[in-house]
Amino acid sequence: MASAAATGQGIAAPVRPAAHWLKWAIIGVIGLVNLYAVTLMYIQGETIFALVTLILVATGLYVFAAPGAYVHRYIFPGVATMFIFIVFPLAYTIWIAFTNYSATNILTFERARAYQLSQSFQIADQSFDFALYGAGTNTYRLALTAADGERFLSPPVELRVPGAGPQPPASTAAIEVDLLPATAPPAAEPLPIKDLVRLRGVLQEVRAHLPNHTDLRMSGLRQFSAIRPLYQVLPSAQGGDGLILVNQQTKERIAPDMRSGFYRALTPEGEFTGPGIAPGFSVFVGWKNFLRVLTDPGVQGPFLQIFGWTLTFSLLSVIFTLAIGMVLAALVQWESLAGRGLYRLLLILPYAVPAFISILVFRGLFNQNFGEINVLLSQLFGIKPAWFNDPTLARTMLLIVNTWLGYPYMMILCMGLLKAIPSDLYEAAAMDGSNFIRDFFSITVPLLMKPLTPLLIASFAFNFNNFVLVQLLTEGRPDIIGAQTPAGTTDLLVTYTYRIAFEGSGQDYGLASAIATLIFIMVGVLALINIKIMRVDRPT
Amino acid sequence: MADVKIEHLVKNYQPGVARDVLRDINLDIKEGDFVVFVGPSGCGKSTLLRAIAGLDDITSGDLFIGGRRMNEVPPVERGVGMVFQSYALYPHMTVRENLAFGLKIKKVDKQTARERVAQASAMLGLDPFLERKPKDLSGGQRQRVAIGRALVQHPAVFLLDEPLSNLDAALRVKTRIELARMHEERGSTTIYVTHDQVEAMTLATRIAVLSPLAEGAATNLEQFGPPLDLYHEPANRFVAGFIGSPKMNFLGGMIEAPDARRTRIKLDTGVSITAGVDTSRAHPGDQVEVGVRPEHTVLLDDPRADNRITGTVLVAEHLGAETFIYLDVGGKDFTVKVRPETPGTARSQFDIGVPTDACYLFDAQGQAFPRTERFTRT
Amino acid sequence: MAMVQAKSIIYRKLAAHAFLWAWLALIIFPLLMVIAISFRTGNFAVGDIIPSHPTLDHWRLALGMSIVDESGRTIPPPFPVLLWLWNSIKVASVSAVLIVALSTTCAYAFARLRFGGRSLLLKAMLVFQMFPAVLALVAYYALFSRISDYFPPLGLNTHPGLIFAYLGGIALHVWTIKGYFETIDKSLEESATLDGASPWQAFRLILLPLSVPILAVVFILAFITAITEYPVASILLQDESKLTLAVGSQYYLNPQEYKWGDFAAAAVLSGFPITLVFLLAQRWLVGGLTAGGVKG
Ligand SMILES: Nc1ncnc2c1ncn2[C@@H]1O[C@H](COP(=O)(O)OP(=O)(O)OP(=O)(O)O)[C@@H](O)[C@H]1O
Ligand SMILES: [Mg+2]
Repeated sequence: MASAAATGQGIAAPVRPAAHWLKWAIIGVIGLVNLYAVTLMYIQGETIFALVTLILVATGLYVFAAPGAYVHRYIFPGVATMFIFIVFPLAYTIWIAFTNYSATNILTFERARAYQLSQSFQIADQSFDFALYGAGTNTYRLALTAADGERFLSPPVELRVPGAGPQPPASTAAIEVDLLPATAPPAAEPLPIKDLVRLRGVLQEVRAHLPNHTDLRMSGLRQFSAIRPLYQVLPSAQGGDGLILVNQQTKERIAPDMRSGFYRALTPEGEFTGPGIAPGFSVFVGWKNFLRVLTDPGVQGPFLQIFGWTLTFSLLSVIFTLAIGMVLAALVQWESLAGRGLYRLLLILPYAVPAFISILVFRGLFNQNFGEINVLLSQLFGIKPAWFNDPTLARTMLLIVNTWLGYPYMMILCMGLLKAIPSDLYEAAAMDGSNFIRDFFSITVPLLMKPLTPLLIASFAFNFNNFVLVQLLTEGRPDIIGAQTPAGTTDLLVTYTYRIAFEGSGQDYGLASAIATLIFIMVGVLALINIKIMRVDRPT
Repeated sequence: MADVKIEHLVKNYQPGVARDVLRDINLDIKEGDFVVFVGPSGCGKSTLLRAIAGLDDITSGDLFIGGRRMNEVPPVERGVGMVFQSYALYPHMTVRENLAFGLKIKKVDKQTARERVAQASAMLGLDPFLERKPKDLSGGQRQRVAIGRALVQHPAVFLLDEPLSNLDAALRVKTRIELARMHEERGSTTIYVTHDQVEAMTLATRIAVLSPLAEGAATNLEQFGPPLDLYHEPANRFVAGFIGSPKMNFLGGMIEAPDARRTRIKLDTGVSITAGVDTSRAHPGDQVEVGVRPEHTVLLDDPRADNRITGTVLVAEHLGAETFIYLDVGGKDFTVKVRPETPGTARSQFDIGVPTDACYLFDAQGQAFPRTERFTRT
Repeated sequence: MAMVQAKSIIYRKLAAHAFLWAWLALIIFPLLMVIAISFRTGNFAVGDIIPSHPTLDHWRLALGMSIVDESGRTIPPPFPVLLWLWNSIKVASVSAVLIVALSTTCAYAFARLRFGGRSLLLKAMLVFQMFPAVLALVAYYALFSRISDYFPPLGLNTHPGLIFAYLGGIALHVWTIKGYFETIDKSLEESATLDGASPWQAFRLILLPLSVPILAVVFILAFITAITEYPVASILLQDESKLTLAVGSQYYLNPQEYKWGDFAAAAVLSGFPITLVFLLAQRWLVGGLTAGGVKG
């Protein structure tokens, strides 16, 4: 009962010796499989992911194998998922903030290098006529004929058109095919050209090898040509350090520029020259992204403006929802009011409707030309406000919608807390000649504020990051003029970050992560304040 | 039925961080014994009971039940049944399901289980409530269900942790008597935790007095023995002060001359008294404390009033059958139990007689000197 | 308060009712409007609350049926709404079940067992749950594209992957359940242990049945959170047939292809069951919400 000592509980897992070897076998298999995966990731340059997998699997195995960690078995699954989906993304985002990770610099260095080394060029004077013969579902034989009539035939190969979905560059492996000398073409009819068109994508991945070790590759719908790798590592005898690659066609030397994250040509003196050669890879750039946020006018201007609006929006949202929620809660809790249950139910309705639906409903209702709100306004006052094109109106609209969405939550909270206020307080106040308005402001509000404070801070943090509202209602528009990155006047910091990362051409993950990191810091401070407040409240 | 033997038991919840809760506990509980653990709150009574049950592990030392070493044996295999202070009835099960739960877990066959439940239910008078949930029972009924749940297991050792503390005074007395009767009938080894010493004195065949472990103390088991032995021959000042109600009075003093039968002691108030204790191991001038039980004092008209102690009356309590007078003797509280009609006017002088054979004597370390005589009321 | 009330109470009550009705009219207007719009002809029609030419076309489209317009063209449903609703329900139920399972075991350990790092973990959970997932979307995408490379069934563009991602949000639920467990007398489980129950049996037969109310609350909260979650789903899911409702709905209001009427029908159709679940459950949820302190 070693575990009893560890838990201090004296409650230990019964150990059945028969199950013992099975447990170790399972642990061993899991360990080996994962060790293999980790090694694979590490070789591919995914050091971080390799490390995370290693840590998780190792702790997991330890926790489930070691009797001393019996208690941790209960928390491991939960804590591990929280680690993967909260702590790790957080840390990874902060790490990206210090790199130039973006649409143009998306690969790891190892992958970029592998990509360059997998490039090839064709030698024009060695071409073969090419035909494809079916050999079962998705399997085919390649038949090549040289200019001098020499024939080659491949064994059946599987060629499958890949499914939809994004394919990261250089991730599809080449299909290796060995050709054998043949005397005559196969008896069957070669496939028609439309099948070749359909299979073109896969065929381009085929590397056919002649018996004399010449590599061939598709160069036209009916043609294969000899190819040679475009880049080769400069041998160390010629001063290569393993990094410098030589273009076999032009003899130009290129090397990775670890500052810009691209391969670039080298001058004879070894200086970098010319533009970067795609694909780029991500490199560490230090504080550059943060400096851009703080000093680059094209980024700093919009950032500060959006930051200001984010604060205003969160603060006003909390104030409006709280004020309305509190008044309604006080009304609904008023015992002599008939039909309280029905009021309560109807008042909660905006909270019960899924937000993504009600936000889109408002998006339609506020539409300048067909929206019911403008129809009503133009009938009543003859105006048609441009809710989506005027910054002030757009912001007003956001606040209106957010108040609509958020007041029931505050009302629910206040109703719960109001129940806890002893009614003799009001009775005592009535003896003192107070009226209901005085009651509300001198008893209800002060008594509610204290328990509400942590909840209000949480609500502030929630609205600070109210992504769904802005993304679904305005998408941040109308845009800020003169901004270097996509930025809108109704953007909150979160949507701004999102747009930098996923919209427009730049997809500047590094910059987006730098801003996200700044938000993390602000939210973290709020969270700590909140914990402090809650702890202060606890003993009372 | 089984005996329970505890040898050099030590319990520490966080070894190396916190202090020991129990240290060097040695108990030899015979088959059929009714042992009561008493001691002030927080001294580790529950901890010791839980260690026996297997709910807490033992830091060091050994525990034997029925001759088998139980340190590493899971609770269910120890053959113990336990009644918790809070009763710990399963709220979502009926009384019947509560009683049958353990049997079901142990896969006792249905017929036997039904018989055992019926037997326990009949014995405890639970038949009318079998289909009720615990929340629909009174405190006393719940308490009986808790006992019944332990009973159906036919435990070799019956453990009870302050089972009566949630009952009102009248019900407590009634249940106490029932428990005594039950033990008489079944004769099973019983260990019972309480801090009510009336329960201890009335129920126990032997009492173990525990104290909160003092810094550097060798053990916190102060004494283990039959109730009257603890009353008449307390091993130390702690036990003397703990057993008996109202509490024993203590007065400081000094040995005038050691003696193997009767020792003269000069009290701090200046008066000298004679105590029937063997102080042959002491020296003249040793600081001691004299203990006198309130019920062992006599009025001066009594021939046994060998020593006289004088104090000022603080309060007199007339309870009808008896009267307690609270005195201030040289700055110390001193309670005496006297004949009911004795007057006691506040702030007046009051003289009380202390028989020689009513005195207890403790050295500076609190260890008792052996008594040579035993006071008996006529 | 059964106090003797002044005369003015009548007027005050009337004022309160008037105020509440005015407010309700304002609040419920948008909801009634969508219902009305879902029965209007065409996607651009404006008009009254009660449509003058009611039509079921939008509803047919929302239910996946094709319609024939005036010019005789067959219009297929623009989007597979029912499939999206099914996807949402699938993802939300599975993730809610798993979240309940994960947070219950965690909460059990935090409430009942002592182990190193307990209080640190508890506090860390409170802090970390405040960081919105939307800020780490890049990391999420990177993480899932790696998972896709090594284990496609859990990778990008899969429902299991999305469910997996939702399991990260258990911190608050752990706190809620832990708080509840702590109100349950510990000696109940000890008693069960003495009765011969294994730790698992004590958990399963004693603690769990007593915790059903709070587990139901957590289940519903997790379910609603998952069904309304937008950012993570929008990043992880790509195929139209895999989208959840929250991600898919916005395609209706694309400025180039504005399908206002179709959207209204789809919104009512899919929003109604979710709203109903919430309203039915709201009484229990109030406690859970107050304990958690964060909008669900
Ligand atoms: N799980 C635990 N972890 C750490 N310390 C504990 C634990 N349980 C009890 N203690 C400590 O051990 C000591 C003895 O506790 P125990 O419950 O045995 O006292 P007790 O004699 O039963 O008191 P009472 O009469 O009040 O029930 C106390 O100081 C208590 O604080
Ligand atoms: Mg106790």
